[in-house]
Amino acid sequence: MRPTVEEQLHGTCRILESVVAPCVADPFARTILDNLIANLRMMTAALPKVAGFLRYDNDATLRQLLALREALPSELDARINQAMAASEPDVADGPAQEERNQLLRELLAAAVCSPALTPDMRHSIQNYMVNRASRVPMRYVPTVASVNSSTAKR
Amino acid sequence: MTHPAIASGTPADGGSDALVLKVLDGLKKLIFHEIPSARDISLERLSRSAGGLSRENWSLDASWTDANGRHAHRLMLMRDAAGTLLNTERKREFEVLKALERSAVAAPVVHWIDPDGRFLGAPSLVMALMPGSCDYMVLNGSRPLPERLALAHDFLQLLVSIQVVDWRGQGLGESLGVPEDSPAKTELGYWEAEYRRVRLEPHPELDYVLAWLGRTAPQAEAIVLVHGDFKPGNALIEGKNITAKLDWETAHLGDPLEDLGWITNPVRKREHQIPGHWERQQIIEAYSKLTGRKICEADLTWWNVFSCWKLAVIQLTAVGEFVAGRYNRVFHTPSWLFRPMLQMMERAE
Repeated sequence: MRPTVEEQLHGTCRILESVVAPCVADPFARTILDNLIANLRMMTAALPKVAGFLRYDNDATLRQLLALREALPSELDARINQAMAASEPDVADGPAQEERNQLLRELLAAAVCSPALTPDMRHSIQNYMVNRASRVPMRYVPTVASVNSSTAKR
Repeated sequence: MTHPAIASGTPADGGSDALVLKVLDGLKKLIFHEIPSARDISLERLSRSAGGLSRENWSLDASWTDANGRHAHRLMLMRDAAGTLLNTERKREFEVLKALERSAVAAPVVHWIDPDGRFLGAPSLVMALMPGSCDYMVLNGSRPLPERLALAHDFLQLLVSIQVVDWRGQGLGESLGVPEDSPAKTELGYWEAEYRRVRLEPHPELDYVLAWLGRTAPQAEAIVLVHGDFKPGNALIEGKNITAKLDWETAHLGDPLEDLGWITNPVRKREHQIPGHWERQQIIEAYSKLTGRKICEADLTWWNVFSCWKLAVIQLTAVGEFVAGRYNRVFHTPSWLFRPMLQMMERAE
């Protein structure tokens, strides 16, 4: 399908930057526009990575949960069992992958607060979190006011 | 607007025409409410600035005539935006600014408040427009090193001046509230409630850090006035001088290490530090020299981690407001903050 999603996003950014932005004289509106363009550019690069990230993250989160089980209360352990028993969503089903990710991260949020975690468990949690943070495809792109930036605050 | 006291009002750049007219109309009503004898009120050169992530900032020239003659002021109007990163009260900020007028802290003179948005449609403050300009990166900008170092010292001196404000004498205990528990726990409690209110999805990383913060919260050596967002980006500079510290909406009573933790936070190094000349250790030494306080490294690290965690919650607020259609900038979960927080925690343990 041409233009591809990526080509459409690239094209939209190009048009916004070359046609629309030069006509926006108001500093506040221009700052907002710059932020939107920067985010669209980020999304253009990130979008193809989202499905792969969710599959990686669901797998890594489940493994992390299993590694913590000994330190978790039985009620939480039962919920983890239930999540394990559920069948993996189709890799092409984005919303189902997202839903599973939400469920697993909710379980992990409860698990990492367990008072019974050992130092080794804490170490593995931190490694998991640092690894995950480095792979997250969507990120905030900071932009500065492009007009009158030295007095932007005023 | 048909009030006979109003002579003119000129919309200028910034914001939609409807919003500009609403601001002009509301401001005239507010002035008339505050100064009932005012007539020939004129508001000119109204302009909305590009900055201000949590509020609309408008500058304008205002003049009017009353029993004492003609008055002319350059004003700054700060009006709550529909979507905001900070859930704060204008009344608290107004009272802090009033108290600062009687202190050595350089801050804008505040004129009026519209606490519930009765006149301006949203809670607002009107203050004097102070001279100078704002530069987030002034400490690492194009100025010569000695000038940047002098400014860095001046910023620290300003931070200390805020900490020595006689908040009891100024009655700020009543308006801001004195922490009953340790200030660290009080602040953590406030921001935890914000976190629970704004998050749209689970964040195990933030829950993990929150649990650590809860387990290790330090006691405070004293209770002082805290700015809450102390940075060069919240100040005006004219020539070589800081003319005003701005944005007092997060000011509160708390631990002296809180603002120090904000400026020694490793993720904000580029704003607060000068590589090789004004780094964490030098800031701590200079602070100790100015205040006589001996800094506990573990306590300061706690405030560094807290600074990152609070910043993460503020960004999640922006995510929530964007999704709700109230905020016009796109933010994401601040995963870039996770690694530095976890590293600092690991070092502290």
